[in-house]
Amino acid sequence: MTGILIVAEVDAGELRPEFWELVTVAKSLSATVPGGMSIAVIGANVDAAARQAAGIGAAALHVIDDDRLANPWPEAHATALIRLCGELTPKMVIAPRTILGAEMAARLAVRCRWQLVQDVTQIEATADGGLKGLRSVSGGAVAATVRAGPGPWVVVPRPRAFAPAEIGMTADSIAPVRHAFEPPPLATACEAPKRVAIEGISVDRAKTVIAGGGGLGGPGPFALLREIADLVGGAVGASRVAVDSGWVQPAMQVGLTGKTIAPDLYIAVGISGAIQHLVGCSSSQVIVAVNSDASAPIFGVANYGVVGDWKEVMPAFRDALAGGTA
Amino acid sequence: MRVVVCLKQVIDPLTPASTLALDQTEKKIRVGIAAPPVINGFDEQGLEAALRLRETNKDIEIVCLAAGERFNNDVMKRSLAVGADQLILVQDPSLDTWDPYPIASALAATIRHIGGADLILCGRQGSDWDNALTPYILADLLEMPLLTLAKRVNITDGQRVEIERVLADGSMMMNAALPALVTVTSELGVLRMPSVSARLTAARKKPRQIALAELSVVAATAHAPEVVDLAIPVTGRSCTFIEAADGPGAGSRLAEILLQSGAIRLGGEC
Repeated sequence: MTGILIVAEVDAGELRPEFWELVTVAKSLSATVPGGMSIAVIGANVDAAARQAAGIGAAALHVIDDDRLANPWPEAHATALIRLCGELTPKMVIAPRTILGAEMAARLAVRCRWQLVQDVTQIEATADGGLKGLRSVSGGAVAATVRAGPGPWVVVPRPRAFAPAEIGMTADSIAPVRHAFEPPPLATACEAPKRVAIEGISVDRAKTVIAGGGGLGGPGPFALLREIADLVGGAVGASRVAVDSGWVQPAMQVGLTGKTIAPDLYIAVGISGAIQHLVGCSSSQVIVAVNSDASAPIFGVANYGVVGDWKEVMPAFRDALAGGTA
Repeated sequence: MRVVVCLKQVIDPLTPASTLALDQTEKKIRVGIAAPPVINGFDEQGLEAALRLRETNKDIEIVCLAAGERFNNDVMKRSLAVGADQLILVQDPSLDTWDPYPIASALAATIRHIGGADLILCGRQGSDWDNALTPYILADLLEMPLLTLAKRVNITDGQRVEIERVLADGSMMMNAALPALVTVTSELGVLRMPSVSARLTAARKKPRQIALAELSVVAATAHAPEVVDLAIPVTGRSCTFIEAADGPGAGSRLAEILLQSGAIRLGGEC
């Protein structure tokens, strides 16, 4: 009997860090979902990542390792997961809110007609055998409490909302249960991804993020943000306006349809703070906003604000930091 | 070839949160001021994808389709002004819901009612409930291949649809045989502006109304989790504004404060 099945996503051989947040969620619900925690690892050449994931003290480790799963091909990965769930009949599946993980979760939930409890920042079992969760809707403008029935459930936690579990290594490593990938004919096909090299540190891993928005007026000023990021060992991010205008690459986008980040320091330059952007950065420890419009919503979530023209403020900010290193 | 674009009428996402009114009895989000709704931005991008397809595939008929409680016709007719051939509105009080299953069931029944579609385009998610589930359910109900998060859509040989799918660190080419459903993401670009004359012509056109009762809707057997409470989140932060004589002064003062408070530690990470 499988209680909770955690989907451990592997990207280019590496276990994705969201996995440890899913473990925290699973542990908090394991008392009310009998059957223990099991792990599903789906991909190609995933053995090392699978061993690492199993270190949480999982009851079982299920591995589907097949060359056809090398690319982040949603239908193939989802089909593998749906078939595994058919065999294991878990009460709950927990998947990461990555581009691939969220799609696997949606396909599983819809195909099996299980309830999808997604984007939750809090989740708990209810006395009547259901689940209750808190999530934001309308791009973050409204917080909704949602209640799911008796299950099975597919749970997709909001990134950064749950503390990652300790990366533990139990003494006894469990042997993986290997499942063949024998899908029916698939309706979609894909080619290998074209990956764009990210300049500097990725926004979702940096402790300091300095992000630019529509107020910068073009791609040029991002060079100044890059200089500042380099001074403090941080990353450069962007709002949806800057990405949709083609100024910077989508990997830099912070917000509802971009990345959800929680750095120690977030500096927003020329970003008005549309709700869909704030939902991606509001968990930052300290938020600083520089904007010429004193009524910009970004100031509503900021700890420090400068009302002014970034063209005057930011070069002096950089020089003051550069002077500090000397 | 028929391309159906699914549109949803939503609250303008630029509506300030302070003017939102939460209906705790019905569990609905309303706007407290007289602000017109908009077409969900991601769905507009689906329409833009259809219009671009027609530039190279002249035989394409673009049918826009929306299911909801009631519509602002002027807002929805923007789809006709930019070049859609037809606008179909399915109105029913039961379609004012956060639950994507009844919506997708109504859309699926309508598409069957009008004789099917070769390609269905949807936005990646609705900006009201952010569930991003309707396209999945619709593809499941119509048993169509589903390709998601397209920033580019092409039809190859009139037989297959090819998309460039956005990934966190790049993109990936995907394809499927038609008929198929494709969701588009914001990187595709915004919907073109209608010309003044097109707007005037569209104003005289009437959307085709289809009542839910006319359709053989298979009642949804599954439902999304129920919304039991709504609240406007509070941030709990208060902003300290940096006072200085001028911009450069504010910039250096900001650096000083962040260094003193330990928010910035020079010399790199950790």
